[in-house]
Amino acid sequence: MSESRLARGLIYGTLLVFSLFYLLPLVVVMLNAVRSTADINHNSVIAWPAAVVWGNFAETWSRYCIAEHCTGIRPYLINSLLMVIPATIISTLLGALNGYSLALWRFRGDGIIFFVMTLGVFLPQQMNLVPWAIVLRDLGLFNTISGLVLIHVVQGMSFTTLFCRNYYVSIPPDLLKAARIDGAGFFRIFWRIVLPLSPPILVVTAIWQFTGIWNEFLFGVTFSAGQNQPITAALIALAVHVSEAPQYGLQSAAVLMAAAPTLLVYLFGGRYFVRGLTSGAVK
Amino acid sequence: MQPISRRAMLAGTAGALVAPAAARAEVQPKITIISQWSAGSDGAAMVALGKEFTRQGGIWEHNPVPGFTTEMMNKLRAQIIAGDPPAASQLKGPEIAAWSKVGAVVNLDPLVKDAGYEAVVPAELARVSKPTGHWIALPVQAYRINTLFVSKKAADKVGLTALPKTWDEFNAVAEKMKAAGITPVANGGIKWDDGMKWEIALCGISPDAYRKAVMELDDKALKGPEVLAAFRQFRKLSAWSDPGAAGQHYSSFIPRYMKGEMGLLLMGGWAQGVFKNAGFSFDDYLIGPAPQDDGKVAFDLNADEFIFWQKKQPEFVEGQKLLAKIVMSKDFGPMYSQITGSIPVRTDTDLAAPGFSDGQREAAHALGEAVKAKRVVASLAHNMAQTNQITAAMLDVLTEFAHDDRITPEKGQQRLADAVDGVR
Amino acid sequence: MPPRRLLGEGIRSIVMWAPLVVSCAYVVLFSLWTTAVSLTRSTLLPDYSWAGWRNYTVVLNSRNWQVAYANLAIYGTLFVVLATAVGLLLAVLIDQRIRGENVFRTIFLYPIAVSFVVTGTVWGWLFNPSIGLQKLVQGWGWTGFRFGWTIDRDLAIYAIVVAAIWHGSGFAMALFLAGLRSVDADLLKAAQIDGAGPWRTYTRVVLPTIGPIFVSVLVMLLQFAIKTYDLVVALTAGGPGISSTLPALVVYDFMFQRGELGRGSAAAVMLLASLAVVVLPYSAFRLWQNRRRFARV
Repeated sequence: MSESRLARGLIYGTLLVFSLFYLLPLVVVMLNAVRSTADINHNSVIAWPAAVVWGNFAETWSRYCIAEHCTGIRPYLINSLLMVIPATIISTLLGALNGYSLALWRFRGDGIIFFVMTLGVFLPQQMNLVPWAIVLRDLGLFNTISGLVLIHVVQGMSFTTLFCRNYYVSIPPDLLKAARIDGAGFFRIFWRIVLPLSPPILVVTAIWQFTGIWNEFLFGVTFSAGQNQPITAALIALAVHVSEAPQYGLQSAAVLMAAAPTLLVYLFGGRYFVRGLTSGAVK
Repeated sequence: MQPISRRAMLAGTAGALVAPAAARAEVQPKITIISQWSAGSDGAAMVALGKEFTRQGGIWEHNPVPGFTTEMMNKLRAQIIAGDPPAASQLKGPEIAAWSKVGAVVNLDPLVKDAGYEAVVPAELARVSKPTGHWIALPVQAYRINTLFVSKKAADKVGLTALPKTWDEFNAVAEKMKAAGITPVANGGIKWDDGMKWEIALCGISPDAYRKAVMELDDKALKGPEVLAAFRQFRKLSAWSDPGAAGQHYSSFIPRYMKGEMGLLLMGGWAQGVFKNAGFSFDDYLIGPAPQDDGKVAFDLNADEFIFWQKKQPEFVEGQKLLAKIVMSKDFGPMYSQITGSIPVRTDTDLAAPGFSDGQREAAHALGEAVKAKRVVASLAHNMAQTNQITAAMLDVLTEFAHDDRITPEKGQQRLADAVDGVR
Repeated sequence: MPPRRLLGEGIRSIVMWAPLVVSCAYVVLFSLWTTAVSLTRSTLLPDYSWAGWRNYTVVLNSRNWQVAYANLAIYGTLFVVLATAVGLLLAVLIDQRIRGENVFRTIFLYPIAVSFVVTGTVWGWLFNPSIGLQKLVQGWGWTGFRFGWTIDRDLAIYAIVVAAIWHGSGFAMALFLAGLRSVDADLLKAAQIDGAGPWRTYTRVVLPTIGPIFVSVLVMLLQFAIKTYDLVVALTAGGPGISSTLPALVVYDFMFQRGELGRGSAAAVMLLASLAVVVLPYSAFRLWQNRRRFARV
């Protein structure tokens, strides 16, 4: 029995060591968020707070100035929500539809489409900047949140399609065959059979899209104007002072608040994430 | 490309001249402006400008693009592609000429003439503002790059009372500081900082060689003894920096520097504003020109400008006129430069005003003298000397040299010449 | 066909094809456009004057590109292999019916929710010898302690590997854990009855059945590796010097910093072309899987 206890100890020990590695940055950020600038400058970036101060949060949330607008990061957070929620929903649903077509309806050229989609997962963002400027201009969506939603939907579809396709592949073909014999068409099968089986993969896909779009910076800053900018732009404004000393405390508070939505999504959705993957998403 | 831009220029002129009579009464002037100045003293200066613009009856719409200059230019590029450029945007140096070829700009000649502006602006700044012979941009503020800051506490420790005048003196001071346990050089180690140390060295060794090698890309000068000497001095500066300087912004060393644990900082005049914001006073450091081996004045220039993009709507045409008027006015310099710590552009600005520091006064005086002596050079690291394409290629060599002491000065010089050849 | 049916058929085709066409068109058109621009003299803006292969030779001969590609080889390999290994190890450990599974899983998974910019910035603090871990440990009394990878030109790329593993290995863990959970319980029982120990059970029974998951993990990690941009900008900015630069940085640098759209596009096309080498076999593998399945029915 002692051997098994040793093994257990080893398992927990390893997990704890790794936990430290994963938690370290979060702990540093959390501590700094409640430390004053003087404290951080005088002591170190890694240290216990000399005194716990909460001012950094109020300052970044509603008072910090970005150019003329001393509104803190709140309006930018709202912009990001306005962008990320529709983009996540639309790209997930279209991905489900695409995945369904690719996995369960064989047609000419499905191989090529699959290859192209996979390539789409790898396209470097930098390369797409100028083409998107041209597309947005032609569609009249320049400097609008709708334009950003469009970009994230189209670019995200490569991911969502692949996720959903790989999941739907594991639906037994017999199920569909039976439905087709009963006279069900493309939509009815999607609606009645495939969608009800989909929540696990839709959760995975939606979480993936939500975090990816939330954290995107390049397009957000280029294709939005002033007060329409997403949260990542505000974060950079806080972080990059070409001519000023870093304000670790404010920055840490801002990082925590800016990351709160995605962290919450993982905190509460994490369980479904693994469950969704378990039910076949990765086969 | 050329004919289009010339036609556009004419159209711009016509717009500027024709619109006023019809429009003045009806429309409220409006400006949309893109800059990277979103925070800190730069942000505060833009806010002050916006307030003045509003006070004079205009509508101010500032679109800060936080981050680095590149992001700001991406935004500008995207707006130009979309056919909707801002009415004005921040831009500097030879980039003004480059960008004026891809978008239609406003010819500001009539406004500049009315204001009698050209006579009170240093010729070097006028030159970059009118790359095609016409004014298309207006300088906002200037900085001297070749400026030396010495920590007062560190100076006291080694008994230093006056700034070193030549590189030999500088090196002697640095050695003394090192022996006293002080880290001699307090600079950071990011790309532009590395490029700046090298250019300050070269400018201090010979402004003429600088002009030939950096501004004219003369192959002989690039391979000449002055540039090699600059690499040697640059190697020393790197060796005297903090071992952890790589990738660091100089401002992260300010606390140690002010405590006297670090001694010498080669930085543009804006460091004064940064020190002030960090809670330090003029008693905490000595400031003056960087070492100059021939003992004469020399000025390594950095300047910010606004370029004006052509817009059809009368409110923007009026807004551009209003902005130009404000920026060229005599009151603008004191207002803007007192916030950022820069040198006002107009040579007739009253620097005795209490809002200016001795450092600003000395640098402004030096600019005037250097203009007269024709010893003004344009900063490489701050994109004043070359287009970004050439600048980036040169800075890559310099920053690599700074952080790899296996590269000898001779090899560094060769690589620099090769890099210039590669992009020329 | 009755008109009503025809209409229905039409709508079906449109709804089925529209999203497929849009997402493929995006990939194909943007890639073709970039390829076209890579053959032009474009600088600040696209400009359609022919330049031939010049942009490619210039990029290939540039030091930045050579350093970046060598770095990608080191970084890509280490990151993909180590993140896979760490992910698999953690998944296997969590799968041992441990207590506090939810807590551990959340701890390992949360970094994926954090943006690369934040990851890079915070790891930048930790790696920075004058403010980070080195200072902390030296403050504890171990004055000889050295930990300043980001300032060492030979180690900076490994600092990026560490930060990237921190960010991405949790995702690998989630995928593997899902795979382990879906292994047929009967298989495990059979292995137990045969008297196989835990090591043998894993290596002989479990890992082979989750083989396809390895492919998924590799693809996801590889796309992370290839696209790595913000992380490096925030962590080392490609330095010291240019020692930790990566191809995505070079693409951005050429395109936007230097205002050389043509050259930047050439760099992007070369990056994509080297990717096709990976993507093609993957697509083939997936299709083969699917065909086989249909064939069975």
